[in-house]
Amino acid sequence: MIKTASRRTFLRGLGGSTLALPWLESIAAPRSKPMQRFALFYVPIGVVRKGFFPGEAEATVPKFAGGNGVPLKKPGIIEAGTHEWNLTPTQEPLAGIKDKMSFLSGLDRTYLQGTDVHAQCASCFLSSATPTSVKDSPYPLDRTLDHLIADSMGGETPFRSLEFSCNSHRDNKESIQFDNISWYGTGHVAPSIRDPRKAYERLFGVGEAKTYLNITDLVLEDAKAMQRNLGYRDREKFGEYFDSIRTIEEQISKLEKMRNKLSKVAIEEPPEAHLPRGEYIRLMGDLMVAALQAGLTQVATFMVGPERWDTPFTYDSLFDKPMSHHKMSHNQREFLDQLLELDRFHMEQFAYMAQKMDAIPEADGSTLLDNTLFTYGSGLGDGSTHQYSDLPIIVAGSGGGKFQSGKHIHFEKGTPLANLWLTQAQAMGSGMKRFADSSGILKQALV
Amino acid sequence: MLRFASILGFIILTITPTASCADSFSALIQPVFREHCTGCHGEEGKVKGKVNLFEIESLSSLAGHTELLQELVDVVEFQEMPPEDEPQLSGEVRAELLVELNRLLRNSVNEKKAYPQSPMRRMTRFQYSNAVEDLFDLKVTAFTLPEEMLREIKPYFNPATGVMPQEASVGCRPLGKSQLIQRRLGGVVAFPQDLRAEHGFDNRGDHLTLSPLLMESFLKLSRSIFESPDFNAKNCGKWQEWFADPGAEAGDLDDEFRSRIRSILYSAFRSDVDEATIDRYMELALAKTGSGMSFTETMKMIGSAALASPRFLYLYDKVNSSGESEAATDYELASRLSFFLWGSIPDKELLALADSGKLSDPATLRGQADRMLNHKKLKRFCDSFPSQWLQLDRLVSSLPDPEEHPEFYFAKFRVSMHMMLEPLLLFETVLIENRPVIELIDPDFSFRSDLLQSWYKTGKKGKSTPPTMIVYDRVPITDRREGGVITNAAVMTMTSNATRTQPITRGAWIGAVIFNDPPEPPPGDVPPLPEEPLHGEENMTLRERLDAHRERKDCKGCHAQIDPLGFAMENYGPTGLWRDTYENGREVDSGGVLFRKHSFNSPVEFKDAILAEKERFVSGFAGHILSFALGRELSPADSLALDSALDQCRDDDFQFRDIIKEIVMSEPFRYKSNFPDPSSVAQNP
Repeated sequence: MIKTASRRTFLRGLGGSTLALPWLESIAAPRSKPMQRFALFYVPIGVVRKGFFPGEAEATVPKFAGGNGVPLKKPGIIEAGTHEWNLTPTQEPLAGIKDKMSFLSGLDRTYLQGTDVHAQCASCFLSSATPTSVKDSPYPLDRTLDHLIADSMGGETPFRSLEFSCNSHRDNKESIQFDNISWYGTGHVAPSIRDPRKAYERLFGVGEAKTYLNITDLVLEDAKAMQRNLGYRDREKFGEYFDSIRTIEEQISKLEKMRNKLSKVAIEEPPEAHLPRGEYIRLMGDLMVAALQAGLTQVATFMVGPERWDTPFTYDSLFDKPMSHHKMSHNQREFLDQLLELDRFHMEQFAYMAQKMDAIPEADGSTLLDNTLFTYGSGLGDGSTHQYSDLPIIVAGSGGGKFQSGKHIHFEKGTPLANLWLTQAQAMGSGMKRFADSSGILKQALV
Repeated sequence: MLRFASILGFIILTITPTASCADSFSALIQPVFREHCTGCHGEEGKVKGKVNLFEIESLSSLAGHTELLQELVDVVEFQEMPPEDEPQLSGEVRAELLVELNRLLRNSVNEKKAYPQSPMRRMTRFQYSNAVEDLFDLKVTAFTLPEEMLREIKPYFNPATGVMPQEASVGCRPLGKSQLIQRRLGGVVAFPQDLRAEHGFDNRGDHLTLSPLLMESFLKLSRSIFESPDFNAKNCGKWQEWFADPGAEAGDLDDEFRSRIRSILYSAFRSDVDEATIDRYMELALAKTGSGMSFTETMKMIGSAALASPRFLYLYDKVNSSGESEAATDYELASRLSFFLWGSIPDKELLALADSGKLSDPATLRGQADRMLNHKKLKRFCDSFPSQWLQLDRLVSSLPDPEEHPEFYFAKFRVSMHMMLEPLLLFETVLIENRPVIELIDPDFSFRSDLLQSWYKTGKKGKSTPPTMIVYDRVPITDRREGGVITNAAVMTMTSNATRTQPITRGAWIGAVIFNDPPEPPPGDVPPLPEEPLHGEENMTLRERLDAHRERKDCKGCHAQIDPLGFAMENYGPTGLWRDTYENGREVDSGGVLFRKHSFNSPVEFKDAILAEKERFVSGFAGHILSFALGRELSPADSLALDSALDQCRDDDFQFRDIIKEIVMSEPFRYKSNFPDPSSVAQNP
């Protein structure tokens, strides 16, 4: 199955989206530098600012005043510019690896009235839409950054991107916008894998998938015949079927070629038993790191939990009785200690994954982490005020030496988060000049 | 959003000549806009709710705006505008205005008859499971659906009898382990559950998409069904016909394959199958037998390919012949019917009628709807629609504070598992017994387990029954504070948090579920209610504490609608138990006004108010059903068609089955709008 360079093989958005991505020819130069990776660690429901942001430790815990567009911090707590980075309490777990990451603060997003705050902050975190570019949906949601970056890569890896999530789905009451940060296009979700065993099988499983090739040809023919009878809108949507099948075929053939290499990756098959939350998150993290290491993909997103997760949970290792993260976040005063513990807990998992990446050597003496841009972030600057401004962002790794490390950089008021994404995309080799509502790149974050 | 158009609107049957329309605009409509509306809606840059009536200078700039006209009709008819604290329209002017607006709305819709398109979409997990069972006539379920709420343990559901029995033995452990008890194909693992849309159902076309990850699941699923050791002659009713090796009796093997393939594909694809398609599958079959695969294994492979084919996976209509809505084909109609009422592919009888072109004949169509409403497969509708309509999945994660509500918990279970089935069994009864749908609000009976009866009477669970099997008895409801889909413990519990009721949540639920008019999402910077009352507020009722946040003018607009509905329910505590006072001793005040027309002082009077607005409930409810049937949101054109459908049901007081039949006979259900290309598309919608 030879694919011509001019044919679009990536999954398109729905509804006749006018998002015309240029098909970038893969530059098949021999690899002089290790493969670059992009990864994201998304934490829901924001953080407690007191514990995370320097200078706010003595600030009063918000009573829920302020909010989107209303500046919460008193001006002048941190000046714009590059500073020495002293770890705040929530950041302490990063102590051993701080010099391989940078803390970026002051980045903002825009909230568009008309949808739930939480749903928008997750689903649109990586969205390439501007506040006005999407007409038929209240969400400013379009193809997300991870897929755009994957589009610009050579397509050598079996999986163009991988989406992981630690929402173990103990209940089913939220709609998809709370539960996903990765989207092929407006309304077209890129579902994530949540079960470690399934993830393992998908990535490292033995050749079962090959047997599907028997029928994929057949059903593709069915699809072509069917397409002739569809209306124009359905034809657009139906593209998802073709793309899915073809992607699977490519995946299978690439995985086949990698069999030998994969058998050398040290990862065990996950157990069947129900795991405590920390172990579950770290196991999914191991799988993601292994996938990046083995070259199964260059792009991965990791959603630690769904937004607005209301379901009371012991977070197994953490609390004695079930606590609802979301409910606690609305009452920072009453639950300050528990929330700070939870924020730290999430940071520990991020640190674990970064350290794991840093322990993997590349051919040229650098580490996997050195050749990755692995970002920790949340869509809310504070779970209580639901502000979309001054978000908590930490970038681990330098993307092959391009990003600064070991610093705290505070950006000027009004700097869009999209600037960070644009900077990262360009560092990954994408030719894009704009991303969502970006106003430029973050020069200070670059070396 | 669905409303019941004014009766006056129906008097206008003909399309009025333009001259008098233009007159009515300058004589009536525009002056009203200028006097009562444009102050907030258009003048001096103020465009509240994004509605600009100032820029409408002539009839033509209003005439084509179907959505706007529908909104205007709604707010005028239900007196939502002008706002309470502004000068109101006189009764006369309001009536005249409604006549004109309705006329314009009808014209606008009728001019280019076009309903929105139901986008093509893949099957949901629920539909896939049913389809596989029906296709292969399985005696077991294909894969378990842990989200299922109401499980029939002893058979009770028999719509053909027209009666629900006095007792139902059922199980309830959604997301729990009881699915292991159900007989199913071993080794089959399904793809993840499809979540329902924010204001809609899980079969919404615009929410159901496909991705490589999901497609892999489908491929794997289709294989594992056939590889299951339980997929055999004993469990598969079609084994003999399709899978069993014909052995020596078979004549030409080619012919045998061909006829079986034709038969499988016809049923799986629920439409004519052309020879070219059959050739393709034949090729695969011959290649496999050629390389030594057994007959049975080959046919299983064919089955697995058929299940992975988009012609099985997708629900879709073929393209229209022009840019206007037109009648769907008989095969398309067959699928619409079966996915609506049976959550699955059409059966032999439907396909035969489609094949002979008779299905679209009105008498036949009606007859088929009747047949399907009498069939046990109607249970699939009951397993899918009501729990989503009532949003009962929210109850699964309701956890009242164990210290304040210790009776709620027992062993590993919760009283909510018993609560959950009460409204569902009520729904099934109203449907099976073809009762007027208003009985969903204020019935004189309910279904309760012993535990639940004890709960309502004493707040204690009495003898606790694990929910793996519970007996529900049909009990009379004599106290009108109880019963119905609103005032039951399930809904009251799931619209509360761990320690107190949430009146705004309840109000929003009533708005969305009962009146099919969900409120807009709140703006981003809404402060919450502190859990503990602030100093000075300890002695206030919940209503008084929330009053403060309705002082903001931009909050009042929505909250004037939402709050009264929720406060009407304040007598029901966080676990559905009646209370006259709060913990601080203050009396509960559950008074309010519905739609600015009917005042009430208690939940019973609130029910009376809803009964007084019966048609509004019926219209909203029918809208939910139509939206479910179509897999999409409704447009003004749909609403008008629905109004006509409901006209047919008025004489018999809007009985449930009649409503369903009229929906089947309605245009939105029978028509399709799959335009060939954008240039041919009509102006509506």
